[in-house]
Amino acid sequence: MSPEVTGLVGIGALLLLFFLRVPVAFAMAIVGLAGFAFLSSPGPALSILALDIFHQFSSYPLSVIPMFILMGSFAFASGINRRLYDTAYIWIGHLRGGLTMATVLACSGFAAICGSTAATAATMGKVALPEMKRYGYDDQLATGTVAAAGTLGIIIPPSTVLIVYGLLTEESIGKLFVAGILPGILLSLFFVLTVYIICKRNPSLGPPGDPTTWKKKFRSVNGIIEAAILFALTVGGLLLGWFSPTQAGAIGAVGALIIGLARRELSWPKFMEASKDGIRTSCMVIFIITGATIFGHFMAISRIPFVLIEWLEMLAIPTMGIVLLIILIFFVGGFFMDSMALIVLLIPILYPLLNTLGIDLIWFGVIVVLVAEMGVITPPVGINVFVIKGIAPDIPIETIFRGIFPFLIALIIATIILILIPQIATFLPSFTSY
Amino acid sequence: MKFTARLGKFERFNHRLSGWLEWVGIAGLLLMVLATVIDVVGAKLFNWRLLGAIDIVMLSQIIAISFAAATTLLVGRHVSVEFFVSILPRLARTIIEVFVSFLGLSLFSLIIWRLIVLGYSYQSSGEATATVYIPLYFFAYAIAFACIPIALIYLVELGKSLTKVRGK
Repeated sequence: MSPEVTGLVGIGALLLLFFLRVPVAFAMAIVGLAGFAFLSSPGPALSILALDIFHQFSSYPLSVIPMFILMGSFAFASGINRRLYDTAYIWIGHLRGGLTMATVLACSGFAAICGSTAATAATMGKVALPEMKRYGYDDQLATGTVAAAGTLGIIIPPSTVLIVYGLLTEESIGKLFVAGILPGILLSLFFVLTVYIICKRNPSLGPPGDPTTWKKKFRSVNGIIEAAILFALTVGGLLLGWFSPTQAGAIGAVGALIIGLARRELSWPKFMEASKDGIRTSCMVIFIITGATIFGHFMAISRIPFVLIEWLEMLAIPTMGIVLLIILIFFVGGFFMDSMALIVLLIPILYPLLNTLGIDLIWFGVIVVLVAEMGVITPPVGINVFVIKGIAPDIPIETIFRGIFPFLIALIIATIILILIPQIATFLPSFTSY
Repeated sequence: MKFTARLGKFERFNHRLSGWLEWVGIAGLLLMVLATVIDVVGAKLFNWRLLGAIDIVMLSQIIAISFAAATTLLVGRHVSVEFFVSILPRLARTIIEVFVSFLGLSLFSLIIWRLIVLGYSYQSSGEATATVYIPLYFFAYAIAFACIPIALIYLVELGKSLTKVRGK
């Protein structure tokens, strides 16, 4: 069997293992090990297995991941999410659909200090869903909004998916973070607009909350200052060259801890719970990267990425056509796989091709993350939907999926705009040197 | 004692062991943060660097990630594709569980073995970190040790699945 055919069989075997519910990280390691052993010999394959595990677990560049994940966990434990929501609610809660708009804005704010989509949906869902229920908001609108707005967690910096993308493509994490800012704001506005249109058409879906005085509004700004400081310190410090990505994450984690202590929100049990949550998520991400590294060795000797380039060159498709094809692959893949796993699996295979085509990898990273976000809220593996279902067990999962549909359209429109106007993602990074 | 009762007892022991190891992992994670912050604050405010900060972060990360892996698996945090298996009939699901457990057990047995081999080679050659020369072999052995509960989780799952198949 030729290396290329072995590679294709390996990809088939990998998909089969995914469907058999083997954890993504372990499936990639198994297929990578078996494929490498088949194409070379078992001895080198087994040596690479141990070396890859040791090198990835001890990788200093990867240490940025646990740091930013821990920052998000500590920020949640410190009650920052709740204060963000309270502030947004005080400002716009009195509008029609105001509570859902407040949820979107609070999600944007929390996304600025938390890099995980599921964590953003879960933390904001716990705060926002009971409030929306209290004010008689439609279940479909309420749950759909939280699940969709949670996706802002992986586009607005810091984003764990963008960090991993940066490590895989050797692009500057600082530039990727900055590139996510304008698309993140654009998407937040689109989500708010979606809520506005829904409630305009059917006002009973989102009745207005209690009006508040201007004095109360201005006093509530206090609730977003800490999140703004944390964001400025970490992402700002990173961009100004004060900190490396790992250092920025560590400073952010300690900053969130200090905020929690200063606010008297962070008890010992909450601290331990946040640490457990942080380490489990970090462990999951680094295992996926390790699995992908092992699988990547197999792909490299199978020559699949290079054959892919040759094949696409032969077809003479224009660059934009290839980009659209890749986006379609990510879009379809997102239905079945977690966004992180999808990116870790596909980027190493596509990276040589993207380089050959001369595609701006910063812009492409943002696009890919946006497309992968769609997978997070679409069936059958919409992780955010299951997160929301866990918070609101009495609401049928179909209701949540139906609620997401308008936001999915907003997400698709935002992606199309970003494809047509790449400057939305590339404008800010052009000013950064890091 | 019946096989299932023994299996249950063994499973409870493994859960406790995984829980203890996770605490070690958390300590590693917090040490990563602490070493980095001390280094940054020292460098920015006092013009002083923590010697070997990068070495400490790298090695603490090994402890953090490997020692938390078993609990991460137990609480279902390792990402997997849930949809397809859940729509299959119960017998098919059980057979798949046997297969998946066997694969997991095989993978982690190989990982443990090869990490011990790697640790031994590091020990023989005296491999150490670049700055403060901390020996690396200990950490290869540590990952191997931390993978034992994962292999045991799959062993228990295999036992449980086989019992289910036999009961059909």
